[in-house]
Amino acid sequence: MSNGAEFYFYEDRVETRGMDMRLLRRLFSYLAPHKGLIAVALGALVLGTACQLAGPYIIKLVIDRNIMPRVMEGLGRRIGLFFAAQAGAMGFLYLQMFTVSIIGQRVILKIRADMFGRLQRLPVSFFDRTPTGRVMTRLTSDVEALQELISSGLVSTVGSATVLVGIAAVLLWMDARLALVTFAVLPAIVLFVELLKKFIREANREMRRKLARLNAFLQEHLSGVAVVKAFVQEGKSVREFDARNDEYAAESIRLTNFYSVYFPGVELFASVAIALLLWQGGFRVIAGAVTFGTLVAFLEYAQKFFSPIKDISDKYNILQSALASSERIFQVLDTEVSPEYRQLPPGGKAPPGRAEEPGGESGTPPAQPAIEFRDVWFSYPKGDGTGGEMVLRGVSFALHEGETGAIVGATGAGKTTILNLLCRFYEISRGEIRLFGRDVREIPREELRRMVSLVLQDPFLFSGTIRENVEAGGDELDRAVEVAGVSRFSASWETGLATQVGERGGHLSVGQRQLVSFARALSRDPKILVLDEATSSVDPVTEHEVQGALGKILSGRTSLVVAHRLSTILSSDRIIVMHRGKVREIGTHKELLASRGIYHRLFSLQFAPR
Amino acid sequence: MIRDAIDGISAPDGREQVVRAVSWMVLFAVLHGGFRYFGRRGMLVTARRVEMRLRRDLLSHVIRLPLSFFGRTPTGDVMSRLTNDVSAVWLLLGPGALTLAGTAISYVLALLFMARINVMLTLVSLAVAPVIVFTSREYGKAFHRNHRKAQESLAAMNTTLQENITGIRLVKAYGLEEREEGRFRAACRDYYRHNVSVSKTSAAFHGAIGLLAGVGVAFVLLMGGWLVIRGRLTLGGFVAFNAYLAMLSFPTMALGWVINLVQRGGSAMGRINEFLGIPTESWEPVLSPPRKVPDAPFLEVRDLSFAYEGQDRGEALKGITFSLRKGEIVGLVGQTGSGKSTLFSLLLLLYPVPPGTIFLEGRDVSLLPLDEIRGAVSLVSQDPFLFSDTILANICFGKDVPDEQDARRAVSMARFLAEVEELPDGLHTVIGERGISLSGGQKQRATIARALCAGGELLLLDDALSAVDSETEQEIFREILSVRGGRTVLFSTHRMASLSRCDRVLVLEEGRIVEEGTHDELFSRRGAYYDLYSRQMITRELEAAL
Repeated sequence: MSNGAEFYFYEDRVETRGMDMRLLRRLFSYLAPHKGLIAVALGALVLGTACQLAGPYIIKLVIDRNIMPRVMEGLGRRIGLFFAAQAGAMGFLYLQMFTVSIIGQRVILKIRADMFGRLQRLPVSFFDRTPTGRVMTRLTSDVEALQELISSGLVSTVGSATVLVGIAAVLLWMDARLALVTFAVLPAIVLFVELLKKFIREANREMRRKLARLNAFLQEHLSGVAVVKAFVQEGKSVREFDARNDEYAAESIRLTNFYSVYFPGVELFASVAIALLLWQGGFRVIAGAVTFGTLVAFLEYAQKFFSPIKDISDKYNILQSALASSERIFQVLDTEVSPEYRQLPPGGKAPPGRAEEPGGESGTPPAQPAIEFRDVWFSYPKGDGTGGEMVLRGVSFALHEGETGAIVGATGAGKTTILNLLCRFYEISRGEIRLFGRDVREIPREELRRMVSLVLQDPFLFSGTIRENVEAGGDELDRAVEVAGVSRFSASWETGLATQVGERGGHLSVGQRQLVSFARALSRDPKILVLDEATSSVDPVTEHEVQGALGKILSGRTSLVVAHRLSTILSSDRIIVMHRGKVREIGTHKELLASRGIYHRLFSLQFAPR
Repeated sequence: MIRDAIDGISAPDGREQVVRAVSWMVLFAVLHGGFRYFGRRGMLVTARRVEMRLRRDLLSHVIRLPLSFFGRTPTGDVMSRLTNDVSAVWLLLGPGALTLAGTAISYVLALLFMARINVMLTLVSLAVAPVIVFTSREYGKAFHRNHRKAQESLAAMNTTLQENITGIRLVKAYGLEEREEGRFRAACRDYYRHNVSVSKTSAAFHGAIGLLAGVGVAFVLLMGGWLVIRGRLTLGGFVAFNAYLAMLSFPTMALGWVINLVQRGGSAMGRINEFLGIPTESWEPVLSPPRKVPDAPFLEVRDLSFAYEGQDRGEALKGITFSLRKGEIVGLVGQTGSGKSTLFSLLLLLYPVPPGTIFLEGRDVSLLPLDEIRGAVSLVSQDPFLFSDTILANICFGKDVPDEQDARRAVSMARFLAEVEELPDGLHTVIGERGISLSGGQKQRATIARALCAGGELLLLDDALSAVDSETEQEIFREILSVRGGRTVLFSTHRMASLSRCDRVLVLEEGRIVEEGTHDELFSRRGAYYDLYSRQMITRELEAAL
């Protein structure tokens, strides 16, 4: 699906969990490099809060010093001060919001890059058992949740707390009794907010899950609309959609109902608090215990008092889901990298118990085969660490330098597995694989990669130009492009090698993609070429070109090919017939035909005109 | 009420007046809360229902649009109308309308009360309101623009990521880890820059609004203070005025937001209507459908020409004429682009077919109801598309209710049963994004089983076995042939050896049928078929090798 990335709707269960100090500490370690910015943000926060809190106090002064005694003098000055405080508050607010968001974004940038780097070094088996969607979610939604925590969570929680404490202090300082009256509604509000928030949180999560389901359904049925039409299932699709649509609507209406109680409820409490304040405060003003201005300032402060309470309760939510996300993020970061990325012991020594060949580094003794499998057993690792059924059962064969080996056999015989193991995508269970006499496990990763070039069955290209794709393999661009036959079609294009191949190479035909992937493999002039021949059908003319290129590429180069084409099989020096994880026959085409075994049967099925 | 209470403080019967005012206040707060609750609920729930209906109607319309629509409209575009645009309409009808109503009521009432307290002061205090509305509207636009850019760079980042994960073997095989990290980091940087500009705008907005509100309050303080000192305004009036003004600050800000919502919702509705205006495939029941003609061939194509609309590639099919007898199995060969897939799509009426060109048992298909034709013809296309659901649901996709017995039979005919039974939940195993992934060959066999299960009399296989090895392919053909008589098969392939097993072969070249006959006939004719065949170099190489 070409635009799967654009609309991406995979969702994990979000579990609510308590605070986890270990996780928090690890998160803080990502904040540490931004100490300076954090200091700026906190400074701006404190100063901004101070300016904000000064406002109502200045109004009190205006009332008590100017309005009550009816004195004009100083009114302008005080109002100027008020305005300055407001401007200061807003300036600091801007500074704080901005720095905090930069901190959040930078931390996220780092975490994402770390995750991506780790991902590149995980064993292939990780990608076998983890659907692409889930990996994507780790690097997208989970990281976003964390960013939310840092950008709007951490600092503004500190901010809200500062405001709360500040207001409480100012109120107590102005008049303790009136302050206590204001605080009286507090427990009720907190209780109300917390209670409803619990439902709202849950309904919100449920709603988002339903929306993700709905969107996933849409995406899939729109991509597969031809199938829906071919099977006349429009009605069924709409019915199934309806069910999901109804679910989503029901959930969103439930949420709306909660919010319909929540917002007016919070306001009602605030009004009650203000009424209480007026009642008590009014009596105290009449009794002469407090000034008028104080009462008005109280009213102003009280209004500023309630939003931080709501905020803090919101932030607790964000914290919870961010912690759940960060746990999953760290899980990825903690997944053990593939063994070939681990540092080899000094001198690249073998694992214990095996002696290094004398002079293995310099000249290769002529007797050593280029590729050798010795009694190799292998099963694909499962998620739980155990192995599944054996895919290779005691595979042994050898290819000498310059030879081409063709692996043939039915689907599921273990052909592609042999190539995977040669590239060390997986660790074998038993036996050994030797390249020029050296165990693959002893060859440093970079060296192994330089030595072996892989062509996959599905000619996957990265978006970018043809040149970029070929150069991803190595430096010998011109020769590779020539030999692989890429130049033949690219030369007639105006943009030549600078032509964009599109996402996954979609702008090129299947045959052209195959040729580019050959060129990529050749551009590093590999000692060994490993090729999984494409089965996907191209018309005979393109096929002819691919075959021609393949012939040139393979001649005289040590290569191991999972072969589907007769021409490839016939031009190989050695044919390895696989059946159910075992090598059943090895030999040249003539030898194998003469022996009238499996190869003979396969051969007549595939190629004989009845 | 605040005014009465405060004025009461300075009045002789102070306490009593304070208590009375406070009681009224509480009562009004309760009433206000009640009204808000019902108003909110009523409006938002209604809007949600409208949203749901709109989305349903849109999907049910879109899914009945002709396939050519999906050919020219990217899936992403259709998705965004069904998701973003429908949501924009909900935002307009729900929160937008609610806020608008709330703003209108607050404004009318607050202005009324404020004017009763002091008209001059009201005018002064309103001076900043237009600036606030303007600022928040501009902000809304800028935010939307920046946000969209951020979303675009997020999509680009996701594409890079997805590409990397899909191609991870190549990354490893070629040691491209560092290069890929660079590419991904560049995409992340881009996203980072856009996000920073979004937060810059929003930080600036919040600062500016606070500042503007501050200006308003300062004006009122100055003027109001002066009025109180001059004795033209009571202290209670002054305080109440401030309270009303504070009440208006949110609606004023929200007004700019609502204006944006209205604009966006309006254009979203326009885009939705654009889709709703495209005519769907014809589903009207035909009044007098033609009768079957007893001796007519099962399928007959007469002089069928076809060109894709809006593409200047010329005709994809030119004067195609052929017929299939019931129970026949006919092969179709030709180079990529010779028109094989187009022919298959037309036989299924996925694109409009000119009248009098395709006949099913003697009946012109353009006079038959669509569901009857598509029920009689099962297509297995080149690209094996399966839904992420259980295997059973996929196999029984063509049926209203899944039938395990039928599914099992179809899966077995498609030579897929042994592998399905090895899966943890057998036929109930979930496949696709949320389940296990099948190999190319398994997918193809699953789609064949799906077509067999649907039970159409005409089976169209569009290069549907390319990833299945030839031994299995032969077995599947044997299975399909074993119920011969019940089924007519037309299949295309690039594997020339498969063609020797069918009754007849049609050779397509640039949209025309250039040869027709049995394998042996065509082979001995030494024409286009022989050419294609020998391009695969089978005979020559065999001779050379032996």
